[in-house]
Formats: sequence, structure tokens, C-alpha cells
Amino acid sequence: MTQITRRTVLRNSLAVAAVGSLARPFIANAAAKTATVWWTQGFVPEEDAAFKKVVEDYQKQSGNIIDYSLIPFAPLMQKIVSAITSSDVPDLISHDINDAVLVPQNAWDDKIVDATDVIEAQKDKLHPTILLGTQYYNNVSKKRGTYLIPFKTACVPLHIWSSLVEKAGFKVADAPKTWDAFWDFFKPMQPKLRETIRNVYAMGLQCTTTGPADGNNMFNQFLIANGGNSIITKDGKPHLDDPTVKEAVIKSLSYISKAYKDGYIPSGALSWNDADDNNAFHSKLFIADFDGTISTEVAIKDQAERDDVTTMGLTNGNDGKPMPAQLGIGGAFIPKGAKNIDVAKDFMKFLIQPTVINDYLKNGLGRWIPPYPDVVKNDSWWFADPHRKPYTTEALVDPTVPGYPVFNPGWAEVNAQQVWGAAEASIIRDGTEPKAAAEAAFKKIEAILAKYPIVQS
Amino acid sequence: MASASVIDVGRPVARPRSLFSRLRGGLQGTEYAWAIAFCIPYVGVFIAFVIFPVFYGLWLGHSPSLYIELFHDPIYQQTIVNTILYLAIGVNVKMFFALLLSGFFMRKGWWVKGLLMVYVLPWAVPALPTFISIHWMLNTQWGLVNNVLWDMFGIDGPGWLDTSRWLALGSVITTYIWKNMPFWTVILLAGRMAIPQELYEAAEVDGATGIRRFIHVSFPLLANLYLVCTLLSTIFTLGDFNTANFISGGGPALSTHVLATLGIRDAFEIARPQLGVAAVLSSLPLMIPLVVILMHKLRTSDVQL
Amino acid sequence: MSATTIQTRRPPNYRRRKWAVEAAALLLGVVIAIWTLAPIYNMVMVALESHNDVFSTNIFPADPSAYSFWIVFTEGYWYLEYFWHQYENSLYIGFWTVFLTLWVGSMVSYSIGRMRIRHGWLLTNAALLTYLVPAAFLAIPFYRMMQTYGLGNNVWSIIAVEVTFATPYAIFIFQQYGRSIPLELDEAARIDGASPIQVYFKIYLPLMAPALVAVGTYALLLAWNEYLYQFLLLSNKRSMTVPVALAQFLNSDESPWNYMMATAIVYAIPPVVIYYMFRGRMTAGLTMGGVKG
Repeated sequence: MTQITRRTVLRNSLAVAAVGSLARPFIANAAAKTATVWWTQGFVPEEDAAFKKVVEDYQKQSGNIIDYSLIPFAPLMQKIVSAITSSDVPDLISHDINDAVLVPQNAWDDKIVDATDVIEAQKDKLHPTILLGTQYYNNVSKKRGTYLIPFKTACVPLHIWSSLVEKAGFKVADAPKTWDAFWDFFKPMQPKLRETIRNVYAMGLQCTTTGPADGNNMFNQFLIANGGNSIITKDGKPHLDDPTVKEAVIKSLSYISKAYKDGYIPSGALSWNDADDNNAFHSKLFIADFDGTISTEVAIKDQAERDDVTTMGLTNGNDGKPMPAQLGIGGAFIPKGAKNIDVAKDFMKFLIQPTVINDYLKNGLGRWIPPYPDVVKNDSWWFADPHRKPYTTEALVDPTVPGYPVFNPGWAEVNAQQVWGAAEASIIRDGTEPKAAAEAAFKKIEAILAKYPIVQS
Repeated sequence: MASASVIDVGRPVARPRSLFSRLRGGLQGTEYAWAIAFCIPYVGVFIAFVIFPVFYGLWLGHSPSLYIELFHDPIYQQTIVNTILYLAIGVNVKMFFALLLSGFFMRKGWWVKGLLMVYVLPWAVPALPTFISIHWMLNTQWGLVNNVLWDMFGIDGPGWLDTSRWLALGSVITTYIWKNMPFWTVILLAGRMAIPQELYEAAEVDGATGIRRFIHVSFPLLANLYLVCTLLSTIFTLGDFNTANFISGGGPALSTHVLATLGIRDAFEIARPQLGVAAVLSSLPLMIPLVVILMHKLRTSDVQL
Repeated sequence: MSATTIQTRRPPNYRRRKWAVEAAALLLGVVIAIWTLAPIYNMVMVALESHNDVFSTNIFPADPSAYSFWIVFTEGYWYLEYFWHQYENSLYIGFWTVFLTLWVGSMVSYSIGRMRIRHGWLLTNAALLTYLVPAAFLAIPFYRMMQTYGLGNNVWSIIAVEVTFATPYAIFIFQQYGRSIPLELDEAARIDGASPIQVYFKIYLPLMAPALVAVGTYALLLAWNEYLYQFLLLSNKRSMTVPVALAQFLNSDESPWNYMMATAIVYAIPPVVIYYMFRGRMTAGLTMGGVKG
């Protein structure tokens, strides 16, 4: 036992006071409270380990307890829907596709707690697209609010098997810089590769009606490349009558369905779910695809094989000008009816601190990127790996737009109904003309959006 | 079920029975208490786990606007057609072959007995592993079916689950038959074995062999069992989620959904549980008559299941 | 054929036709065998293949190895982390489903069929109503219910579900089978002073043994085949069961089909074993008496 002198007591109490004041922002109150949290299980074990670490750190700092469940992607969706329907909700819900699927509708129905105060401290550091992506429309209060607490972001890069390109006698560096021409680049490689490989295709475009995300992501990028980004503007109003938009939709549908009919896309693509296309990519069934995050690269264990994959950011649009990428925003929300809102908010405030989130996502092998451009730009780790660099650049440096469901919740249902996938399928299987398929798709979208009249943007 | 209650001890013949004792069925005192006690666990289960969810489900799906929306949806219309085909073809082809094979398995011979043991494997092996296996077998590029076609016959097998609705639906129905035929074959086989041998011998004396024996002896006696099995099977199949979900996943392009899988999709993927419940409840007009007929059949005829 | 039966006239070419029929039967047997075993063979084949071999066009494994099984047994893969615990969950659910179905079902059948409680038929018909809105449809109500009863994420929620769906069928089998046991036996015991519960244990249950086995196996297979409810009601790696874990593979970023099939085979073993152990009793339990039209 060291000698206890007045000096040591003073020193120690000063230290305690200092720690206490520093830590105060994160200590909701002295009594330990518990919050139930549902979190998406990672695609790799490191992601879960990283989350557990964050929870431990928070619990130590705040004294609160986080009762979390790490639930796989698909069952979590079911659970959340069931919970919200039966009004028996946890305190905090994080799902990788909250931004596109769960928050839009529930914010509209006023089932989510407004979280403006949670992101207040970090608002200025957020990428503007992301900040925009947190403002969902509430039909009860008739205005937008902060209903999604963003803590990670992702985008959709291009993935190419360099070895297949070279085997066909081409070079990846020669790939054209505009969108359609880029995809055309792979077409002549297919017959060359077929001389020795029986099962290989040029591209893995996901013209599927099974969701949730791939088919829509793919189509939307074609839409943007053809100039149709104004299909819905940030005030939530659709512009389906705009001739540019119509033209863009028809062009996109035509390109994709023609590529399929010409045999450049594996026939199974019509029914791919979010895992099937990744599996097809890993088995080198096709040369190039357009798929969210770099999880396909990260999942390859063998270094040499991983090096074989070239990750690329977006090309220019078909007009030759740079086009924005769609940004997926990973976030959490607090459902109304939660019993420990304060603790949930407190935990999120802790999590979204730049250093905390940076460590968390880095430990999770960088599948998702922090939403703070400055943090990322100052941390060379995010640009070190040849796969991560184009990915991060595309997400935080190059131009981006948030997903359409942020602007209008009806778009979440448009996505869920896989309207574009259905259009592609009708062209491919039923021989509908692209123009007619586009008309049918517009009709469907109009009917869905009619249910969500936005009064004030 | 018409025999008089034999536990009618102590009931005087002429005295009019009070309502209470009529309800009790003539059981006295502690016996009655026992009878009730024996029923309580099931009644408890029934109330807790059947009544509540059924009513909650009905409540979730009560709004007529849901049904109007459903009927206008081309996917739903396709699903109805699929479900009807699934039932009409799946159940009947399966039962028919089960009937024929039950005759086959009556043959003498050690190899027949051995084959029967192998034959029931699809029923014994759990659904999920086998469905996943079959789904992989049907993979266009790497599946066993197309590999066999290529390696042995040089044919490029079609995309079983990829593009054609009918191939995919056919695959689902075939898998369904594969999985469920053995169970019903065994039931029908048991039914056949219950037919007294003397009837067969008498028929043989009269010159009826083979097919004629089947038509005139076996089938009439099995008819009732066959009908009950078909009804029961139809009811089970209407609620079958696993097969369609794991074989075709409702693909391609949502064209091979059945009511069960569409309901789940609407509830969870579109995040509209009421719509999902409505999709499923829309099968009630078919379900209710089936169940009523089945109940009637089971009460009025002595059919061994 | 004994000498006392009447000799039927044999058609000409009897021997040859008999051989032809036998050959046809053999051919049919081969077809049945291939039909039945193909998916099972596929499971085994894929389980024995290496990852690259899975994505090839081979019919037989190029280089069979039991490595996948080793991974399963040692839980050496991300999605197999709690495999044995999940297996235990499946076994636990299976056991209790069987036990409770048999117990609840036999008690009700006894009361209705043997003690002849008046209006007992109401209960059997009500039981059948369970099948009116089939299992797949009640997902959300069940989820809500289990939360209310405090059984969220608990294997007992699944046991409750399985018992609910197995019992009506159990009641029917017991009813039918019970008809072949004369009521006089009960009466005699009663006259000797046995209480209903003694009759239940000493007379009813022993005589119902084949039916119990048949229904028990059925209940076990029902629980073992179940996917949807386990998927919905169990979301935690520790409370999950093997089918849910298996389906997770399908959603992963890469699909190690060989591990999946190995897992599937290990999962499939108990019901197959139990089925083959009780096959004989099962058939007896499903047959009794004559079939009357």
C-alpha cells in the first residue's frame, strides 16, 4: 500500500474529476441501464469481433449494458419486420439495408425516433451525400427528419478477373472509359475464352428479380449512365414523364436484355440472389461484374487469386462525363416504442465518433467505409490496398448520390417489387419490346408512388 | 363410431337425464374428472398455439383492399395458377404412383424388400439437406444433372431453374413427388396388406389376375383410403413452403411462387405482413371445403391412416 | 400352392411371361433405385469434393476426401462455429417434440376414444382445424405470440410449434388404432378396481405401442424437416438449429457447397437411423384391422 498523503488524494481526485468530465458526454446517467440492440452479423468473423470490441469499450466507459444480438442478414430482416408489426421492438436496430428498405417506410409511418441530436456532434464531418441520406420524410409530421443514424457507407465498384481478360488476349488497362463501351469490351473475349473453357461468360449483370439489392443497384447505374438520374429528385417528386428519363430507361433495359439474349450473361442471372452472383464470380463463371462493396475480394483467401481481381471505380457516363455513384448508407435507427431510448442514443453517439468508427470498420476488414471523408483521407490504410483504394475513392472522393428511397419512401417498395428486374424478365422471357416494358414499369412505379404523396420536401 | 357408451354404469333407464349429466356422457364423478384432466393439456396447447395465431392472422388479413390489390397483381395470378398446378399435378401424380408402387412392393423377393428400405430414404432424410442438394443438382453449369447429360450423352442441358417457368415449376413438382411419394406408398401398402388374402385367392379362382384383380379387388377396397390420403395430402401441400422455396426460390422472375412462398415474400421482402397474410388466406375458399370433406370422411368411414 | 387348391389353367408361354414380368419388375426396381438415390448421391459426392471440384462438370469426385467432414466435426468454418451446439438444439427439439406429442396426443385419444367423453368428437375436429391455415401462414402471429409468452429466441417456442402441428395427426392415428383394441379390456380392468390413470398406463399405452412408435417417428421427422419457424423464431447463433445454420450458407458471400453437403449429411443421420430402427413397428402401427369402404 503506497502512502496516502494529502497530495496523492488531491492528485487522484483531480484525475477522477478530469476523467469524469471528459467522459461525461458519453455517460447518460450514473445508473447502469441496458439497451437491447439488434446488429447485422458480419460476412466475415472479423466484423463481429470488431463490433464486440466496440460494445466492450462502450460498456466500460458508460457503465451501461448493451444486450446485443448478432443476427444474419436475412433472418434479421424477418425479425425486424415481425417486431415492428407486433410493436414489440428492441431499442436499436442496425441492418445493412436499413437505408433502402426499412427506414423509408417506417419513417413515413412515424415509427422511428428522430435522431437529430445524436448526429449533431458529427454533422459537419459527414459527407454531404450521407447527410442528405439521413433525412427521411415523415408523413405524420409532414416534414423530413433525421431518422437514420449513419455510421458506415458503401458503394458499388466494378470487379474484373484480370487473368481471364489476359487469357483472351486483351489488357484491362485498355478498357473504355464510358459505361456501355466498357461492357462491350468484354463481349469479344467470350468466344475466345470458350475455345478452352466450357462455362464462361463475358459479364455477370444481375438482371434478377430476387433481391434485395443487386438487381436494382445494377439497373440504377445504367440509368444514371444514360442520363436518367433525375427520375426522382430530392424533393421526392418523380419525373417519369421526362423524355430524357424515359429514353434512359429504355436504353438501359435494351442494353441489359440484349446482352442476356445474346448469351453474354449466365442464364441463371435471372434468378440470382445476392449470394449467387458472388459465388458465380468466385467460380470465374464470368469476367466482370458490378457488385456492392469489395466483399468478393475480401472473401478470397488466396493472395495470388485475390491479386488477380481488378477493382475499379466507375467509368464515365455514356455522354463522356463523370457520373455519380450510388452511395449505400449503413446506419441504425431507434424504433418508437423502444424502452431505453436514451441508452440507445448514447451508444450510437459513442459509436459514430470518428476514431471509434474508423477502428471498428478497419477491424472489420474494410468492407464498409467511415462516413467522414476527412478521417478517411487522413488515414492511408483506406488507400493502401489495390482493391480498397478504388472503392474508397468511389465512395468518398468521387461524386455520389444517395439512394432513391431517401427521397421518396415509395421507392423502397419499387425496389422491393424488383420492378426493373421484372421488366428485364419480360423482355427476355416474354419477348416484350423494351419500350413497352418501360411503359409497364412506369405504370407500376406510378401506382406505388401514388400511395406516398409528399406534401413538403 | 356408433357403439353405445360402455361406461354407462349406474344410469337408470327411465329417469330423464339432466343437461349436465348428458354433457358428461354418462361418466360419473372422478372418472369424469379424469377424462377432463386428460384433455386439458391438448386444450391448452390448442388455445395457446392455434386459436390465438389463427385469429391474429385473420385479423391481420381482414382488409378487403388487400385482396383487391392481390387480384390485380399479375404475380399473384401466376402464383394461383402455380399453386393449382402444384396441387393438381403434384398430389395426384404422386398418389397415383404411390398406389402403383404399393402394388409393386407387394411382390415377393428379398430384393423387393431391400429396395423398399432404400425407397423410403427421401422421407427419412430431412427436407433441407435434400432440397439444397437437388437445387445444386439442377444448376445449369455445375449441377449433376447437366454434368451427366454432358459427360454421357454430349447434350448441353437446359437451364432447369434459370429461364423457363415451366421447367422450374416442373422441377419443384418433381422434387415434391420425390420427397413425399414414399410416405404415401407405405400408407397404401399398409392398406393393401390389410386386405385379406382370401379375397385375392377367390378372385384368382374366378380367373382374375393382374390388372383385372387390381380393378375388381384391390382398388375398391383401397378407394376410401386413397381418397382420404389425397385430401390430407392436398391440405399439407397447400401449406408447403420448403419445396418451392429451396428448389426454385420462386424464380425465375417470380414466376414459380406458390401461395405459401408468396405470402412469406410479401410479408418479409416487401415488408408488408398484411399483404402476405392475405395472400395465404386467399387459399381458404379451397381449404375449407377440403377440410370439411375430410372431417366428414374420417368420421363416417373406418379408414385406417 | 397346396394340392387341395384348384389348379388354374395356365396360359401358354407361362414361364416366358413370368420371366418377362420379373425382368420388367427388375428394371422398374433399378429405375426406382436411381430415382431415389440421385439426390443422396449428389450430397455425398459434393461433400467429398474439393472446392474447385464442386464447380466442375465431373460426375464422380475427382479426388475424394473427407476433409469437409473434418471441417464440420471440428467446427472449422465461420458458419459452423456452433455446429455441435446447434445440433444439440435440434436433438433437444426432436426429443421433446416426440415426447410431448405422444403424451398430449395419447391422453386426448384416451379420453375421447376410451373414456368416451361426450362431444369428444368436437375436440378431434377442432384439432383438424389446425391444418386449416397451414403452418407457413402463421409466421408473424407465432412470432408475436412467442414474444408475449416470453419465449423469444428459445427452443421451446419451436417445440410448442411442432407439437401443435403434430398432435392432430397423432390423435387421428391413436383413434384409429385404438379401435382395434377392445373396450372390454378397459372395462375388465375397471371392474377390477383400476382407476382411469392405471388403465391408461397399464393397458392403453402398452397395447398402443406400435402406434406410439409410428406417431413418434412422424413427430421426429416433422421437427427435423422444419425450417421456416426455426428460421423465424431462432435468430441467435446459440439458439439456432442446424437447418437455419445450413440455410445461412446460401446467403454467404461464398458458398462452400462441399461443407454444406457434409453438414447436411451429418444432420440427416439421426432421423434415418431412427427410422430404420423402428420401421417394423411403424408399419404395424399404421395398419390395423381391415379397410372398410
